Amino acid sequence: MTPTGQIEMAARFLAALREGLDAGAELPDALTRSAAVLPGDARERVRAALRRLSGDYPEDEWGFDEEFVRMVEPAFEFLYERWWRVRAGGVANVPAHGRVLLAANHAGILPWDAMMISLAIQREHPLPRYPRFLVLNWAFELPYVSVAIRKLGGVVASPHNASRLLEQDRLLAVFPEGVKGAGKPFSERYRLQRFGRGGFVEVALRTGAPIVPVAVVGSEEIYPKLGEAPLLARLLRAPYFPLTPTFPWLGPIGVVPLPSKWRIEFCEPIETAAYGPAAADDRALVLELSEQVRETIQGKLYESLVKRGRAFV
Amino acid sequence: MAGRRVLITGVGSSVGAALARRLEQDPGFEYVAGLDTRRPGGDIGRTELIDADIRDPAIADVISSTAVDTLVHNQIVRRPGRGMSSATMHDVNVIGSLQLISACERTPQIRNIVVRGSAGIYGSEPQAPQFFDEGMAHLYPLRTRFQRDVSEIENLFATYARRHPDVTCTLLRYQPAIGPSLDTQVARYLSLPVAPTYLGFDPRIQLVHEDDALDALAAAVHRPVHGAVNVAGRGTIGLTRMLRIAGRVSLPVIGPLFGPVVDGMRRAGLADLSPDFRRLLRYGRAVDTSRLSEDVGFEPRFTTEAAVTDYLARRGSPGAAPSRVPVAP
Repeated sequence: MTPTGQIEMAARFLAALREGLDAGAELPDALTRSAAVLPGDARERVRAALRRLSGDYPEDEWGFDEEFVRMVEPAFEFLYERWWRVRAGGVANVPAHGRVLLAANHAGILPWDAMMISLAIQREHPLPRYPRFLVLNWAFELPYVSVAIRKLGGVVASPHNASRLLEQDRLLAVFPEGVKGAGKPFSERYRLQRFGRGGFVEVALRTGAPIVPVAVVGSEEIYPKLGEAPLLARLLRAPYFPLTPTFPWLGPIGVVPLPSKWRIEFCEPIETAAYGPAAADDRALVLELSEQVRETIQGKLYESLVKRGRAFV
Repeated sequence: MAGRRVLITGVGSSVGAALARRLEQDPGFEYVAGLDTRRPGGDIGRTELIDADIRDPAIADVISSTAVDTLVHNQIVRRPGRGMSSATMHDVNVIGSLQLISACERTPQIRNIVVRGSAGIYGSEPQAPQFFDEGMAHLYPLRTRFQRDVSEIENLFATYARRHPDVTCTLLRYQPAIGPSLDTQVARYLSLPVAPTYLGFDPRIQLVHEDDALDALAAAVHRPVHGAVNVAGRGTIGLTRMLRIAGRVSLPVIGPLFGPVVDGMRRAGLADLSPDFRRLLRYGRAVDTSRLSEDVGFEPRFTTEAAVTDYLARRGSPGAAPSRVPVAP
């Protein structure tokens, strides 16, 4: 539609709205009715927004809001296609049904990589489903951020939550590097940190969920952390306060991630069901599997880095 | 075989009275007694009403003379009401339970104790597990007076249960209840002209319908189990969504100003939100109810969302005050 056409449309919409209000209709009612003069998709959007305002939208017991996810998807599509030019491989390695644990490398507090993994599955998998993901605890104390993360499928990182999600036969993404991965300096990028005590493997063993290692290249260049300000971190009670070339110097613009080139590789699943739930207490097995996942991701990262070539162009 | 003999404290509350009415119609119960200083609303049949204050040491003799085998403790005050200071609330909760325990010590016939406690013991925390199970009561420090009360009450009964292995002591942990005949904090919150919320927060709230609250209590009387059991409707509802469904206008307030704003509303006689409820509005709370369905064998009929919509449909027009039922002695 041409710009003049759009203005005309807006004028007609407002005129219809005025008419409705003058006739004594309530605002939501008048909005719904005047939306009839809009073209199909715009009309649908106005109606959807009004429906949400009346509280008519689905949220599951975790607070995941699929409608919200679909509403913001165009923005993530833009990041996926244009900003980060993501290429995904091996998506078919993600089982289409039942409980699955995706384990990926990670950098930064904001779960951009989780969203890109989700989008890769939406776009490339023959039977897509939305993954839930575990997010660093601290994010849940932040206003707005906590709500957005919850609606997108984020859950406080804890073994209780992970077990429950897997018992519900869901697809769950975890970042076993934890806060050590999130606070990696730029010079350490793509060098996987220790996988904690292997808690994610314990959960997988206990629930019998296969582990799919995922190597994400690109995510570790979006916020190149050059240093940190521990005093500020203490003040904000944050796990760390990153200093990047743009943050915090440029204010909100500093939160814009850099446009690196991404590759997401899904590796072959590692089955855990055969060990039985009791094996979750076998420290040796847990560490062995944890190390196996770590090596798989690390190997794939190096491979993808070579394939990708230069980071930003 | 003779039927069971039961005593219900807090029988003047709507849930207490409803439980008395239900048990007196059950031929399995040969004797039903109710203890309270308030008269229960509605018809009470063969239930013997004992007009006594739960804080009074004399109740020990009264209770032991009834020779009951089942005790339902339904007199835990969830928030200070009109004309009830928080000190009195603490007294009723803790000293009352203490007197009740000493009465049980002197009543050798006691076999079952069911306590209508609160899931408030878990608190509301940003980093909490999204569903508390019964083993997670002390993950976080107890931040409010009511939390400390509930914890102390649970400790009293747990200690009693350890001393008396032949007594089955069920500690029900209720999420906030909602329903057309209950005057609860959620109900009041949903009838405020504007509902204060924390700017940028949209917590998951979990509630239990008043019918299910009663049925769960009755189920625990019929099938007592040892230890704590969570009671809540399935699922959760986002606070924003709940307010929108209720057609309420929300007033987002930034964190540091929330306290002053709510205090101002209290002084204006508009709202009185307890410290526990304020934390709930910020961080929310949900519990795992598998023990309730598997061990007690009770499945709530209303999900959290259905409880809200049922309440809204039956309380009449939005803005109408919920029917007032006395909640405090």
